[in-house]
Amino acid sequence: MTAKATAAIVGSGSTPYYFRGESAPQTIYELIGKAVHAAAADAGIGLNDIDGLVFFAFGFDTGLLIEQLGLKNVVFAHCVSGFGSGMAGMFDLAAMGVETGRAKNVVCIGATQQVGRRVGQALGNFAATPDNVFHRIAGLGGPGQALALSARRHMHRYGTRREAFAEVVMASRAAAATRETAFRRKPLSLDEYMAAPMLADPLCKFDFCLETDGALAFVVNAVDRAADRPHRPVWIKAVAQVADPAWGRAFFWLNQTDDAFVSAGAEAVAQRLYARAGLGPQDIDVALLYDHFSPLVIMQLEDYGFCPRGEGGAFVESGAIRAGGTIPVNPHGGHLSEAYVVGVTHVREAVEQLRGTAVNQVAGATTALITGGPAPVPMTGAILSSER
Amino acid sequence: MTGPSITPDFTALEVPMDTWSEPFWQGTAEHRLTFPRCTTCGTFRWPAGPFCPSCHAQPVDWVPAGEPRIYSFTILPVRSAGDDEPARQRIPVLVEFADAPGVRLVSVLIDAMPEAAAIDARLVPHWLPAANAVVPAFRLASPEISR
Repeated sequence: MTAKATAAIVGSGSTPYYFRGESAPQTIYELIGKAVHAAAADAGIGLNDIDGLVFFAFGFDTGLLIEQLGLKNVVFAHCVSGFGSGMAGMFDLAAMGVETGRAKNVVCIGATQQVGRRVGQALGNFAATPDNVFHRIAGLGGPGQALALSARRHMHRYGTRREAFAEVVMASRAAAATRETAFRRKPLSLDEYMAAPMLADPLCKFDFCLETDGALAFVVNAVDRAADRPHRPVWIKAVAQVADPAWGRAFFWLNQTDDAFVSAGAEAVAQRLYARAGLGPQDIDVALLYDHFSPLVIMQLEDYGFCPRGEGGAFVESGAIRAGGTIPVNPHGGHLSEAYVVGVTHVREAVEQLRGTAVNQVAGATTALITGGPAPVPMTGAILSSER
Repeated sequence: MTGPSITPDFTALEVPMDTWSEPFWQGTAEHRLTFPRCTTCGTFRWPAGPFCPSCHAQPVDWVPAGEPRIYSFTILPVRSAGDDEPARQRIPVLVEFADAPGVRLVSVLIDAMPEAAAIDARLVPHWLPAANAVVPAFRLASPEISR
């Protein structure tokens, strides 16, 4: 049975995307402010109508936002835990906020500005602890280096080939070619991929996503208000947040169960998400998968049931994730080719796809999957739909 | 041509320890690898911590790890000292142990030709000095093995 949605995304706003550090001298709060202004305008509301804020990945300084933006009526300000893993969970929190009447216009915010501190070196950004000292001894300084261990294990266990990683990147480039907001729009050949230097064998430089700056914001309304907004509502069909101990701290830990180690940590999220939505992978028209590293796209395709476990490599090599394939993935180019803003550029694309205004529109798309990034729990995912 | 993987210098590394992890480092100081096993249900926990993730009890025994093997690894480029120096690599390795099921130690594979590293390859520990501890690194037990 398909459950009726209780809330919808009614406004979407973004700053331009910038290469790492090039958004300066704007601060991240100026970027967020511009995204909030844009999202409110898109939703046809004023800044004084905003009464809720929702964040993830440790969030932002609510007090500073209130001061700088001049938000006068905020009565709901909450954060989903996790890193990029919690991204899709924002829409769970926002939906709960509006459907209970705690707030009317909740704004979900995601942003990153990599000035002097790089997300790709996140493992080295923390003080040494009894737990993380082993990563220092090994020399695992970033998520990509640690996730290379999972990629190699996937290759060993299932026979996944580097050609499959290459196809994820090439499909992403092909999608980005027509997307003006994308930084990497030039097609990539298999030969170019194979000739690229290894950054963390078996991952070469093309398997790593972009490092960019930007801010995006989304206005969420309950069903009673959503129909009055200027754009067709993008319904929050279901959201799942799962803190599965088999996955735990993910690449900060590397002691996941043997099965979880070669996954993207989202299998339990997928099960809960599909059950809550009353839908299955066959009902998804377009998948916006968090693509910080190309092998993790393959593992998410398996976690979310688009192909059997272990067959993700052959599945992508068949052309399944390209436009017109079984399940188009990231028609905006994703983090690999468009820009990286901790997952929220995927939400923008989902909104455009379901409004029917996407640059690379999937014909007739009514249902979109968005995923939080494979990272420490809670892992989250959401299904959005143009039909309530 | 590339040379064997580097041996990092840990002599300036201060290893942070707490009540639960200190016995690990007491073991390495004596060139022994031991891991904490729940005295109630026998589940290993790693990294060392205050509760059993399986039965939630606290006490542990520290037991010998048994034979180490490669669970997975990656190969990282290391900036060479000069144009005449060969390119070097650092090989972070995830190690599993015959007698400590479920435990994976994050460490570094030293003095190994990158093409000789392979999942399931047998290892031997190699002990490196840190400022306040002895760090376990690993070498290939049979360096000639290749994929």
